[in-house]
Amino acid sequence: MSLLEVRDLRVNVDDKPILKGLDLTVEAGEVHAVMGPNGSGKSTLANVLAGRPGYDIDAGSITLDDEDLTAATPDERAHRGLFLAFQYPIEIPGVSNMEFLKAAVDAHAAHTGASEPSAVDFIKRARAAAEQLHLSADFLKRGVNEGFSGGEKKRNEILQMLLLEPRLAVLDETDSGLDIDALQVVAEGINAFRAEDNAIVLVTHYQRLLNYVVPDHVHVLIDGRIARSGDHTLAHTLEDEGYGWLDD
Amino acid sequence: MAGSTTEGSAPPTAAPRSALAQRLLDIEPSGRSSWLDPAACQAVIARGLPDTRGEPWKYTNVNRWYDVAFTRQEPAALDIDAPDDILVVDFDDPRTRPLAAAHGGKAFDLAKQPLAAVNGLLLGGGVAIVVPGDWRGEAPIRIADGGPSYQHILLIVESGASITLIEEASGFTHRIVETVVETGGRLRHLRRQRPAPTRECSLVAVHLDQDARYELAQSCRGAELRRNDVVVTLAGTGARVTVNGAWRLVGREHLDNQVAINHVAPQGFSRQTFRGVVADRARAVLNGRIHIAAGAKATDAALNTKNLLATDNAEVYAKPELEIFESDVQCSHGATVGTLDEEAVFFLRTRGLSDEAARALLVRGFLREAVADDEGAARLELVA
Repeated sequence: MSLLEVRDLRVNVDDKPILKGLDLTVEAGEVHAVMGPNGSGKSTLANVLAGRPGYDIDAGSITLDDEDLTAATPDERAHRGLFLAFQYPIEIPGVSNMEFLKAAVDAHAAHTGASEPSAVDFIKRARAAAEQLHLSADFLKRGVNEGFSGGEKKRNEILQMLLLEPRLAVLDETDSGLDIDALQVVAEGINAFRAEDNAIVLVTHYQRLLNYVVPDHVHVLIDGRIARSGDHTLAHTLEDEGYGWLDD
Repeated sequence: MAGSTTEGSAPPTAAPRSALAQRLLDIEPSGRSSWLDPAACQAVIARGLPDTRGEPWKYTNVNRWYDVAFTRQEPAALDIDAPDDILVVDFDDPRTRPLAAAHGGKAFDLAKQPLAAVNGLLLGGGVAIVVPGDWRGEAPIRIADGGPSYQHILLIVESGASITLIEEASGFTHRIVETVVETGGRLRHLRRQRPAPTRECSLVAVHLDQDARYELAQSCRGAELRRNDVVVTLAGTGARVTVNGAWRLVGREHLDNQVAINHVAPQGFSRQTFRGVVADRARAVLNGRIHIAAGAKATDAALNTKNLLATDNAEVYAKPELEIFESDVQCSHGATVGTLDEEAVFFLRTRGLSDEAARALLVRGFLREAVADDEGAARLELVA
């Protein structure tokens, strides 16, 4: 049983076909990178996996741990262990990062029937995760992403991933807008998360994150389909030669 | 935005307003001592009571209030709890007379508050509260819900004193909270209005002397008809006022907040921040006036209001009003009406929150923006 099975996925946005029969299989313990030129459907794939409204699934299926999630709501997918790191993280004024994180962790606990972590235990965990991502303690008290720098927002996404411990993390261009130091911190966070019982799909335009998080598989998405798959060396080839040679 | 004026049943008060006034003047006085002069109250009423034709009552059908308003009131006690050193005396007590002489007419102009004149004639209970000079105790004054239909609270915060007033402001027909904060004094006023199937109006009128501070944080749920008039006059140099308001309305609830900040003296500072969420067929009104008189130099005034419409049928009328007669001032305002950010709802749902929980968290955060400090937010039940 694969962790994630995407079969013949066809998705329209505003009646325009974006994904045109996409197949992707991810096993536990693997990191997959999905690369591709602008407009190839990378972000659509990430968003459809997370269940974003506004995407019309014409055909195909998304299965996580043998459970069909194709029609599931975003929160049901989250409860099954799916996590999306946003390309453009959302600001929520008036709600502190800590309150938000606790609400998210409690929502997962409620679903699994586990007891909610005590406030003290949760704060300890959140602080440790923040420290791991080089975020100061007051970061947790601030409004969610409110006034955060681009790098802080992306690190906050990784912080959520570390606390929610998903089965499958889909990271949508988490490397965009990061300077080299922030990129390394984010990569360390991803590598710390990486384990035998979970999987990661990195959606990215550039190869540079893959220097720090080495993928098991690299897929190239062109015009709504996976045009080529390979090991991590494929990313270097793309970096050197661009996407043009795949058009033939 | 188009507004409907067909609220509920047709009132029996479609008669000319002079008849309304006559009906009121015919009511036998309550026998309670009001500190408002009955003759002055009668004169205001005789000149005419408000109706929906005038701007101040454009969005609130005051006839629906008149329907419940014209009953004779029996005296009843107000439920007030204050620390021992603070003087709380009934209006019948002769000790209130010098207070009336010293402070009467400072905080509001009776001619502009005809409902206060109705209150003056029908008063069912009134007290004066004096916080002595330089009083700095931690314990607050508490005013409870309910009590007589018409009530009047006069609060004097003497020079240098600092105190918190926690007011539960529902369950009456009309309540006046009239306040004078003397030089260097400070009043923190936490005001909470529970949801209620009632029609009620209130007036909070505040007079600030030199360097006095007044901080109002008001959390309102809706009622069948609820109208709050807040009038603050910065009469002394360097006075400061913050008015923070949050509201959450459902069903067919109606809330009308009319706030007027009058900058009379130089170097005044005022901030008004409002956040409201209106659902179903409810209606919220916010009229925020900043008046800066000639001579009120170096005034710094700002008003900001944001409203969320949770359904297509909800109504919000948000209007900042600036009247500036002095050039050496800073004054800004902003008003928005919008809907919940669906992108933020989606974000929270990807983190495992249900649609309902996501919206509730966003609403809570939005409202909390109106009340900056956590303690105030907690007391106003804006924090779960």
